Amino acid sequence: MKSCLTLLTFLVHILFVVGQEKPTPPEGMVFVPAGEFIMGSVYGDPDEGPQQIASTKAFFIDKYEVSNTEFAKFDPTFKFPPEKKNNAAIVTWSKADAYAKWAGKRLPTEKEWEKAARGIDGRVFPWGDTYDNTYVVWDQKETRGTSIAKPASPYGCYDMAGSVWEWTSDWYKPYPGNTVPMEQYGETYKVMRGGSNFNNHSFIRTSQRYYVLPEKIHVYPVGIRCVKDID
Amino acid sequence: MFKYCLLPLVSVFTFINHGLLAQKVNEFPKKTDPLYKKVEMFDRLMLGNHWNEGAIMQHVIFPPAGLEQPIVGSQADCLDPTSEMLAAYSHKYAITGDPKDRKIANDIFEAILKLEKVTGVEGLVARSFNRTNEPLWHEEVFWYHEWHQSSSMPGYRWLGDLSADKFTSIFYGVGTFWELCADAEYKDKAAGLLDRFIGRVVDNNFKLTDLDGKMTLWGNFCPNLPHQELNSLEMLAALKVTHHITGKERYNAAYHMLIDRYHYDDHQINSKILFPKEWRNVGDDYHAARSLYMIIRLEDDPNLLNKYRMNLNRHWYDWKDIEFTWESNIWFLMVYKVLTGEDIFTEEKKQGIKDMWGFERNTKEFKIPQKDGSFKMVRSEEERTAAAMIRNYWFGRYYGIIDEKW
Repeated sequence: MKSCLTLLTFLVHILFVVGQEKPTPPEGMVFVPAGEFIMGSVYGDPDEGPQQIASTKAFFIDKYEVSNTEFAKFDPTFKFPPEKKNNAAIVTWSKADAYAKWAGKRLPTEKEWEKAARGIDGRVFPWGDTYDNTYVVWDQKETRGTSIAKPASPYGCYDMAGSVWEWTSDWYKPYPGNTVPMEQYGETYKVMRGGSNFNNHSFIRTSQRYYVLPEKIHVYPVGIRCVKDID
Repeated sequence: MFKYCLLPLVSVFTFINHGLLAQKVNEFPKKTDPLYKKVEMFDRLMLGNHWNEGAIMQHVIFPPAGLEQPIVGSQADCLDPTSEMLAAYSHKYAITGDPKDRKIANDIFEAILKLEKVTGVEGLVARSFNRTNEPLWHEEVFWYHEWHQSSSMPGYRWLGDLSADKFTSIFYGVGTFWELCADAEYKDKAAGLLDRFIGRVVDNNFKLTDLDGKMTLWGNFCPNLPHQELNSLEMLAALKVTHHITGKERYNAAYHMLIDRYHYDDHQINSKILFPKEWRNVGDDYHAARSLYMIIRLEDDPNLLNKYRMNLNRHWYDWKDIEFTWESNIWFLMVYKVLTGEDIFTEEKKQGIKDMWGFERNTKEFKIPQKDGSFKMVRSEEERTAAAMIRNYWFGRYYGIIDEKW
């Protein structure tokens, strides 16, 4: 099933991409082409299913998570230790949303986030299907992009697995066709993606969804990666 | 006006302990006291002040910020001191044969049963519980925030999202209780609990799942999902203990499936991350030590034993130079000695054991949320746990590492 989906999306993607012009991304961003991709999983949590062919328009997305220094330009009252100037900023959803708007960008939808992280082929991690400790930055304690092996996602993003969780613009709702009863579904929780290896390794899978109250992140390290529409 | 349940200040607070009305225990040992006296006095403090219907609180905040009942404090890790006290009293009973010690162990074990009962789901065990009908202020303040009102035990609230380390606390504590202390009736109860608890994890493809069916934040032992090497060790140890205690073949089959098909025996060897050095995590070593202590004593296949020994050796690389900065460090070395027979206790390390200490009682200001969204600062005394120290003592006594005159 997975291989058929992969082949189908790959062919459609090739035809589609050939016809697209690749615009130059703004500084610090990468280009994600329009088209279909495999979203969700058949092996993860009940809320990841059913696996589906989803599609997005073309968009730009930040190469790295927003750093403390970058966030402090938006909010001068934001405090952080000097040695963590290049670490990912950890903020609530409303602050993340406000930052994105201030920067002329927005928070990604779940679809956009997942496509940027895994490309079109349904891979488990941004770099492929095999986990390795050296592929991720260790917790949120390290500078962005400093994993030992430094693998990028198919479109050139770093730290989409591990480092800090990343906010999406979406409420935690079931995918079309998902009939699993989850009391958290609705417009109470926002979805965060990308995991932190403060938690178990499975949470840094590209299809993993997790819900969190937008203004009460407590100990969840959640950060920002913005997207920008292409005119 | 407090947003949450907060009783009036009382000068002497009382609570139910072993069915008796007891007063707050205030007597602390002196640092210069002999080890046995320090253990005896910290034991009284733990049973007196930390006893939450048999479960042992990791942290207690006294009134006025705290309550007489239920006890208030951080509760995410309560299964650690609970299992440590269960193991402590199991080792103690094995030495003393005193029915009073066995009764205390039985009561602590009953609290673990209650941690299952309160969830209303067979095999789903809570991190902690409190007898209350309404949310308490600390639920919102301390990590972490998966509190539920119990439908199976009206008047109780419980904390969910169990993790791999609490999973380890359960099979280590209950396994030790079964081995050293439980009578026939309690052996059956212990086997039943592990059968339901581990059975539920096996049935969910080796995942700890919460009420909502999602895998918990630290509940991943699944062969189809990437997980830490330490989790492979913990799952093998849990299956080994559960097979030993229940005699059910399904746990032996699951153990060998994870080894033969998914190579957990090889995966677990690297439970200890040694390099880069800053990735070393002494907290994880505690879970590895408990798992290795259980599995190595139960395994008789020389090939598997060799692999578990390789895991232990990787830990020893770090432990050999470890400073006795907290009680679990001391226990690592005791476990190493018990499993290998090597005489590793120098005079300096013996002195480290004699110097073991429980906790200080501190006074602190707590930021308590109010109904109007503001906070009120309330000054109160608080205590941490001495359960690991007490477990170390009786473990050391049981294995002849600690002299009763120390």
